[in-house]
Amino acid sequence: MDVLRQLLIIAIFPGGIFMLLIGLVYAWINGKLIARLQNRVGPRWFQPFADMLKLITKEEIVPEGTNKLLFELLPIVALAGPMTAALYVPMAGLRPSSSFQGDLIVTIYLLSLMTLCTGFAGANTRDRFSTIGATRALTQLFSYEAPFLLALLGPAIVAGTWQISEIITTNQGLWLVVTQPISFVIAIIGLMGKLEMHPFDAPEAKTEIVAGALTEYSGRGLALFKVGHYVELVIGLTLVAALFLGGLANPLMFLLKTLGLLLGISFLEALMTRLRIDQTVGLWWRYGSVLALLQLVILVIWSTLVS
Amino acid sequence: MTLEERSSPILKAFEKAVAWARMNSVWAVHYNSGSCNGCDIELLTTITPRYDVERIGIKLAGSPRHADVLVCTGPVTGQGKDALLRTYEQMPAPKFVVAIGTCALSGGVFEGSYNTYDGIDGLVPVDVYIPGCPPRPEAIINGFAQLLEKVENYA
Ligand code: SF4
Repeated sequence: MDVLRQLLIIAIFPGGIFMLLIGLVYAWINGKLIARLQNRVGPRWFQPFADMLKLITKEEIVPEGTNKLLFELLPIVALAGPMTAALYVPMAGLRPSSSFQGDLIVTIYLLSLMTLCTGFAGANTRDRFSTIGATRALTQLFSYEAPFLLALLGPAIVAGTWQISEIITTNQGLWLVVTQPISFVIAIIGLMGKLEMHPFDAPEAKTEIVAGALTEYSGRGLALFKVGHYVELVIGLTLVAALFLGGLANPLMFLLKTLGLLLGISFLEALMTRLRIDQTVGLWWRYGSVLALLQLVILVIWSTLVS
Repeated sequence: MTLEERSSPILKAFEKAVAWARMNSVWAVHYNSGSCNGCDIELLTTITPRYDVERIGIKLAGSPRHADVLVCTGPVTGQGKDALLRTYEQMPAPKFVVAIGTCALSGGVFEGSYNTYDGIDGLVPVDVYIPGCPPRPEAIINGFAQLLEKVENYA
């Protein structure tokens, strides 16, 4: 019975099929919002489904000079990382299906797996565009990762625990976005960096380096990477909403809060243009991490004064 | 795959779904094989919000590896030929080719020139021809409509 339950959790909810579907739906909402902000009609609701089905059934070319095993394996790992992270966040407003002391850190690292895989995938091929894309992806990873982690540390410090479900129950009262606005902003922008969204899309800049690290991927590999991105978007939104917007009590709250965040992210994405890679790194190290540290110092001093 | 296997209802439904997906998600890679840029500007106009073909799933992909359709303009100059062939060969199957502009169809004003190949259909198989010098965005959209029919019936 227990095995069956575990299998259901992994295959249907909150892992597996549910994550795939909700990821595609959120990707569509994101695309539609941006299109409307740019005065376009935008994609139809089934667009991501059609894209993925088409990509999966397309021929997959393994270019010369690559390690074939890595080439096939990396997209799978890139999707598996965010999928596993789905087990630790309160997906759809329900309790996390798995939880232990320290799962916040594990979730953050699982979310980074995607970028790492993109970087390796780019470095694995001989193509120069992929290599440049991989370098940029990894450089960017090093710039936003620390501030993002520091930002998510805030709620954990206030709650005095590393466990996502406990952080949420301890911080029930006032929404943390009120008491820790800096952390919230950094977490949101860090999420956009993680997802290589608009101001931070130098790693896959279409107009400069073709398609970045994924230039050589066709068919299945590309589809898996894309779905991985979509899933990561949902997980990131859930995580930030759960930590900063007063938890996710039920599915309706989940939808309202994550879609609200998505609206904000889409606005930012439509507003801004691409930053150069050195500007991205400078932004994160000069302002992002300093502000995150400032917030942490305030929190620590405040909590010692209170106790 | 044998004929009996092909006729099983599940496979048929699957093939239908795949045909639907292909038709609703056409990613194009644009190659300029030596055109005067008139056709390219018109192609880009087709993607702007005013004509907006992205609403029916057609968009430009950066890499030929991601693309389903090679949209080619220009009469193919001697220098452009190798890159055209390479771009075409880098695309994963199933792939289609759209020739835009009189130059890409027949050589246009460059017909018979010493360093052009008089159209791209001598080098790669072309699925849809869109004549005009340059064709209007409406004509390009019409060409895409013909292409979608072809994509749907691709087996
Ligand atoms: S068809 Fe006309 S507009 Fe197009 S490339 Fe040739 S000369 Fe230029």
